[in-house]
Amino acid sequence: MPKTNYFKRKQEEYRALDSLDRRRFWTNGLLNNALYILMAAFIIFTAIVNKNFLGPSSIVNIITLAAVSLPMALGIGGCIVLTGTDLSAGRVFGLAAGMTAAFLQNRAASKLIFERLPATTGGWIIAVMLMVMLAGAVIGLVNGFFVAKFSLHPFIVTLATQLITYGLILMFFQINGNGGGPISNVAKEFKTAVSGPAFRIEKWNVSIPWYVIFAIVLVVIMWFVWNKTRFGKNMFAVGSNTEAARVSGVNVFMTTVLVHTLAGALYGFSGFVEAARLGSVTAATGLNNECDAIAACVIGGVSFVGGTGNIGGIVLGVFVLRIIFVALNMLGINPNLQYIIKGAIILAACSLDMRKYLVRK
Amino acid sequence: MKKKILAMIIVLAMVLSLGVATYAEPAPNTKVAVFWYAFSDAYLSTVRAALDADLEAAGIAYQDFDANNNQGTQLEQVQTAVTNGFTVLVVNLVTSGSADAAQQIIEAANGLPVIFFNRAIEGDGEEHTVLDANANIAFIGTDAPEAGHMQGKMIGDFLVANYDAVDLNKDGQISYAMFMGDAANVEAIYRTQYGVEDANAILTAAGKPELVYFDANNSDKYQLDPNGAWSAAAAFDFMSVNLAGYSEANGNMIELVIANNDDMAIGSISALQSAGYNLGDGTATKIPVFGVDATQVAQDAIAEDTMTGTVKQDAEGMAKAICSAVYAVAGGTPIAEAVAAVAESDEIFSIADGFTNKLFVAYAPFTGAAE
Repeated sequence: MPKTNYFKRKQEEYRALDSLDRRRFWTNGLLNNALYILMAAFIIFTAIVNKNFLGPSSIVNIITLAAVSLPMALGIGGCIVLTGTDLSAGRVFGLAAGMTAAFLQNRAASKLIFERLPATTGGWIIAVMLMVMLAGAVIGLVNGFFVAKFSLHPFIVTLATQLITYGLILMFFQINGNGGGPISNVAKEFKTAVSGPAFRIEKWNVSIPWYVIFAIVLVVIMWFVWNKTRFGKNMFAVGSNTEAARVSGVNVFMTTVLVHTLAGALYGFSGFVEAARLGSVTAATGLNNECDAIAACVIGGVSFVGGTGNIGGIVLGVFVLRIIFVALNMLGINPNLQYIIKGAIILAACSLDMRKYLVRK
Repeated sequence: MKKKILAMIIVLAMVLSLGVATYAEPAPNTKVAVFWYAFSDAYLSTVRAALDADLEAAGIAYQDFDANNNQGTQLEQVQTAVTNGFTVLVVNLVTSGSADAAQQIIEAANGLPVIFFNRAIEGDGEEHTVLDANANIAFIGTDAPEAGHMQGKMIGDFLVANYDAVDLNKDGQISYAMFMGDAANVEAIYRTQYGVEDANAILTAAGKPELVYFDANNSDKYQLDPNGAWSAAAAFDFMSVNLAGYSEANGNMIELVIANNDDMAIGSISALQSAGYNLGDGTATKIPVFGVDATQVAQDAIAEDTMTGTVKQDAEGMAKAICSAVYAVAGGTPIAEAVAAVAESDEIFSIADGFTNKLFVAYAPFTGAAE
């Protein structure tokens, strides 16, 4: 029984500590897991005040909401591992959502952005998905190229592409006399395929939309990419020490470009899902969405220090943010205060996270 | 170390106590969720204050939600509210004029009554697509073109009476600036259009030339808040830049400012004041500025003689209509009957032509101190 041995060994180690070390053991343990402890307390508190919070439909709701924000967080996580960030994510997301809506409008609608497009078949839906992911990837490629080639900080590169992308969005929304209005009338077939129910749980009267399944698939793929591929290992090497990585033969340029490109493709995918979910996209769609994605990653332990983080952490971070969102609403907290509390939680989580690295140093 | 633990406990206690302090007592049956497109909107904040007071007075448990100008967030809030047992949903749609966005909200509501208000749920050419197709919904708002017409008429009348005083460079024409709040919002589109067209009609009838947009190179003939937020900041920025190139010294001063809402009017007044205009001290030149909404700030500005006119969008009336409708619907009255009863209750309310579940709250011109 290796597991019991492990605990036995730990127990013996603990016994061997003197009183000061014992105290340190507990405080460190508490502080390093403070986020989980706080969340557990928060969840229990909310569940006591409002019994709807842990009802089946509410839990399904939280899972659904998490699935919406997962793809973007998975993409942006890679940029943070490289000690960077990506401010263009929200706008790329908006562009992808707008393109998706325009390409997949109900062909019978009176106001069409593009008049000659194929009927909404499964093949066309997949083609549009690949197209918007490609569009996102191209912007990501630009980000990565400028970051890697000119050693610019991603903050400034992606700030620039954020503006450029917004300009493109505004132009896109004026195609064919649309005049900046929302792009609506998304085809039913597309909505059914993406945000329609994958399966229903009759007992609880809830259904799980397809994009939850997509998000799970993406998590598995990204876990594989981060942990089992050379690209993933290179990413962590570059993130923890660029020079060391370069010396040991890692292609830093290629890795940086690829991380940003992959991230762009994922923003494209999340925009694709958003178009189906909302049924109508405006030029403002996606504004500031990167903030939540970055916060989720950092809460989940993807550190701006670089080279640390894992997919499981990102999933956890996304869930933490969503649970906070739902819980604050269920507690009936005034929206003015919700922003303050959310900000405080992000600040606390990041401080606790940084503490680990400060201690290690 | 002890300090840190103490700090953590304090943070935890703070978070928890915030929760306790503001938690509304759940009423036995009715729970109203009110979804606002953005808490930062000045006009809607006055509606919110009025509606909160009305609902409280009516003893209805309610909760406000802020979508922060994000349709996705609003949809998520509605989904969450449905799982949380709210019984009536009151929705200020983010994507104004989008039938699809409204339809998504209705689907998420899962059969609960939904009262939309203020921001249109059906765009041009899709009237009836939402309101007629769904049983348990209603719309309370304003007749979108009305504010534009009223603003245009007010401007036309004002100019005919004060033409020579407004025409600073005596070229016989009035050059104007126009600030648009949101390219996608039907109210903004109508206001931008009729604010000028109706004024021109009155000017032409009085034998005066039509208004001229100050910047001949701008074929749109308006400056648009790039974030679609109708914000004072956007108008301030535009107007400051405008005033750097267009001035009395150059003989091409902007002689009239038309804004889609009061926030933008106030923003442009701030810019004018930085340039020495509209100081309200009786000596500085006053450029006539027109807005819409009659927010408190705008009413004060008109009283201080820094602003000329606005169109009153009746915040209290809107709140009263919503509250009465919610009260009736919560009591089991079918939604169309509830709306009809509201329309009967006051002359500022009317049912839209061809609808049973669409209620209009009337606009009124406003150029003087509060009545």
